[in-house]
Amino acid sequence: MKIWEDLLQDIEKNIPSGTECELKMMHSKSALTRFANSQIHQNVDEESADVFLTLHKDSKTITISANLTALKNPKDFVSKAIDSLNSSPIDKGWAGLPDSSKSFSGLSKIDESTPDERANKVKEFVSEGKQMNAAGYCSSYTNNYFVWNTNGLNSSDSSSSAFIDGIFRTESSAGSSHRGGILLSDIKAQQAGNEAAKLAIDGENPEDIKPGNYEVILGHEAVSTILVFLGVYGFNAKSKIDGMSPINLDEKQFDEQINLIDTPEDDDSIGFKIDASGSKKKNLEIVKDGVSKSYFHTRRTAKELNAENTFHELFGWGENFGGIGTNLKLLGGNVSQEEMIKSVKKGIYINEFWYCRVLDPITQVVTGLNRNGSFLIENGKIIKPIGRLRFTQSFMASLAPGNIVSVGNKSRYADSEFGEGMLRVPALHLKEFNFTGGVSG
Amino acid sequence: MFSEINLSIDSAISSGAKYADARILISKSRNIAAKNGEIENLNENEKIGIGVRALVGSSWGFYSTFDLSNESLKQAGKKSFEIAKASSTVSGEELPFADVPVVEDSYTTPHDENPFSVSSSEQIDLLLSSTEKMKKLGSSRAFGRLDFWDTEKWFASSQGHKIYQNIIESGGGISSLSVGDGETQIRSYPQSFGEYRTGGWEVVKSFEFENHLERLSQESQRLLVAPQCPQGTMDLILEGSQLALQIHESVGHAIELDRILGWEAAYAGTSHLDLKKLNKHKYGSELMNIIADATLPGALSTFKYDDEGTPAQRVDIVKEGIWTGVLSGRDSAAVAGVPPGGMVRADGFGRLPMVRMTNVGLLPGDSSLEEIIEATDEGVYMETNRSWSIDDLRLNFQFGCEAGWLVKNGKIIDMVKNPTYTGITPEFWGNMDMLSGEEEWIFWGTPNCGKGQPSQIGHTGHPASPARFKNTRIGVRG
Repeated sequence: MKIWEDLLQDIEKNIPSGTECELKMMHSKSALTRFANSQIHQNVDEESADVFLTLHKDSKTITISANLTALKNPKDFVSKAIDSLNSSPIDKGWAGLPDSSKSFSGLSKIDESTPDERANKVKEFVSEGKQMNAAGYCSSYTNNYFVWNTNGLNSSDSSSSAFIDGIFRTESSAGSSHRGGILLSDIKAQQAGNEAAKLAIDGENPEDIKPGNYEVILGHEAVSTILVFLGVYGFNAKSKIDGMSPINLDEKQFDEQINLIDTPEDDDSIGFKIDASGSKKKNLEIVKDGVSKSYFHTRRTAKELNAENTFHELFGWGENFGGIGTNLKLLGGNVSQEEMIKSVKKGIYINEFWYCRVLDPITQVVTGLNRNGSFLIENGKIIKPIGRLRFTQSFMASLAPGNIVSVGNKSRYADSEFGEGMLRVPALHLKEFNFTGGVSG
Repeated sequence: MFSEINLSIDSAISSGAKYADARILISKSRNIAAKNGEIENLNENEKIGIGVRALVGSSWGFYSTFDLSNESLKQAGKKSFEIAKASSTVSGEELPFADVPVVEDSYTTPHDENPFSVSSSEQIDLLLSSTEKMKKLGSSRAFGRLDFWDTEKWFASSQGHKIYQNIIESGGGISSLSVGDGETQIRSYPQSFGEYRTGGWEVVKSFEFENHLERLSQESQRLLVAPQCPQGTMDLILEGSQLALQIHESVGHAIELDRILGWEAAYAGTSHLDLKKLNKHKYGSELMNIIADATLPGALSTFKYDDEGTPAQRVDIVKEGIWTGVLSGRDSAAVAGVPPGGMVRADGFGRLPMVRMTNVGLLPGDSSLEEIIEATDEGVYMETNRSWSIDDLRLNFQFGCEAGWLVKNGKIIDMVKNPTYTGITPEFWGNMDMLSGEEEWIFWGTPNCGKGQPSQIGHTGHPASPARFKNTRIGVRG
């Protein structure tokens, strides 16, 4: 891409000798068509190009960033970084720059979706709800990422993604569904609309039930939220360093039916094949037969814990947020959702969690609520829709040895509290889940 | 800049838009984070770009770009129209849009020292010395962060607005984390995630971190050996910053008109409030007087015009316990038949402006924290937020705080750990029976309010003073 090549050429010639330098640029086009009350009401499209420059010299480090317009001229940009570098403190955590052996070239041209194409996907979704009130969005993204450093690395990659996410509402209920994929054409909007509509209709006139410990079947979005919390707060090596992670490697902390992997190398994984440092990512075992196998590392966390880097640095966050797995896949089992329901004597089906927050990081006790499709199951059958419940439950304990009854046989990209396109999960059947409050508090 | 903006606006209007406006922003930020006496993050960022908004039929079209060449600016206007027009595939009734006075004006946040004119090394040194000292005092981890924003905005509309504003925001905070056997405890100052206000470097200097290091370190260590918060229904006393978040979550979001109208239903949710009950619904006790005021000097959401050109103003939200007002923009106000409240803002040039809390605060009462504690037979005083969760109608909430203090017979008798409380919005506010006065009224600021799709981060203000709530369920544990 010419803007990157021009920028790199201009920056490179202004770097003083003896200074380690890393230059990154993210060029993105993102579009999102939003609907509410069954009509499109907001429709947005954005083009951005953000540049990050990191300099390291005499044990000091500085990162400055700007978009291409604010950067003005590269010479001044480098001068500003050098000025700031001189007043920076000693950086003991500096872990160096990856070398040329980590370079990767994956740049490709990806067609963007048009507003009309997104509107048609919205129409497919909304039509499934007949007269019900629909709300949600259809989005698409194309990104090109470039990294160069003075240690010889020169990497680039392209990625795209598209999503539809929506709900239908009646006077007394709501149902939601979600689909994600690499291209907008992959998105089955009608299927998602059909699922959401069925949940809303089946969920009409819910009844409140008493809080307490219940057997639960968790739908894709609910499972995704549990795993994203464990990913961000547990398997993130920075959490371990800060004394806030419950994860201990090589311990059987989860049920043996839990097998979690990070799959950036898979063709159907959303996102870049490189991390923010420009290094090629590799598929990684996170939990094997219930045993915790790896943290997500960045250069700095790997250095601090004397571990091997797993290349999970995020663009834009620097290393402030630690290592985050963005291609998590919970391996599926062999039980259908219908079979799960048949096996429940008394329990609850939860489609989606909402507003989950950590009460205690080390035990991963989290509070949150259910929404958009919750049902009481008795003697193998869905008996009635139920109202809001508040849970206060350790997410570690929810997946602990003995608490997994079965793992679903159908996986898909699921939305989560921390974003979409990061997790592919099946449904889960859990023996126990602790609900501490109902609609009346 | 206004001539550049008008290239986009003229292009959107000549393409067929009923109305168009645009904002060019120059946004600077500086973020510094330190841990245990060492720098953890130091980043300076600058972005320049334009966001153009066009109204066609029932939908907004919005296009943003960093490219400010004349050709790109014209294209941006045309694209905003085309994007809006594509919405007609799934359209509704034409969106009304309220009129506001057309003005040419400018405004700059009053400040003593622009934080970007202060040497970053002075700011870094403050964090390094604070976190190093807390570490030496026995904290397992000591954290500190400072954030500064300097945003220049040029807003123009097809109706003739020309408004320049320079908003300067500053803040930060420090925390001491203590790690025990299978648990962590944290104490933060001025509040969790930091305290933020409009103003310059003087905002941070006023926090006087150095006077709180020993207390934070000692309290986080003491919490490790403190007894658990009792469980049961009793009196709850909330410190001001926790009450500010309580206002944010159970009042601020519930009164957003876009939520009430269903425009945010899929993600953020709707509201338990129904417009038919405006001026009738009992939100809380008679002590409850909530305002939304974008004119409070120094509060985080203080400005002169919002991102639609509507003047900043004060709106009564709850008066003596009765719900009386909403947060609105020019479109949502026109739909609901209320005056536009000047509460629409965007997160940078690349996002569509949306209804945002201004300074939504609880007016002070006539007690003091000391008097409240003295008047309490049995209860828990909770300080500084640690976790927050509320349903998508803004009714059922559960909050956790960093520290609790057991109150018996009018005195604090012990520190308790892992304090939590839960409730239902109107019942909870209906149980507020004592409220501290103006001396303890602080303009708390929340710099991390998420809303919208694509996601936007908003900066909101919440003036509050300590208060007591009777009959509250306390000590929920998993």
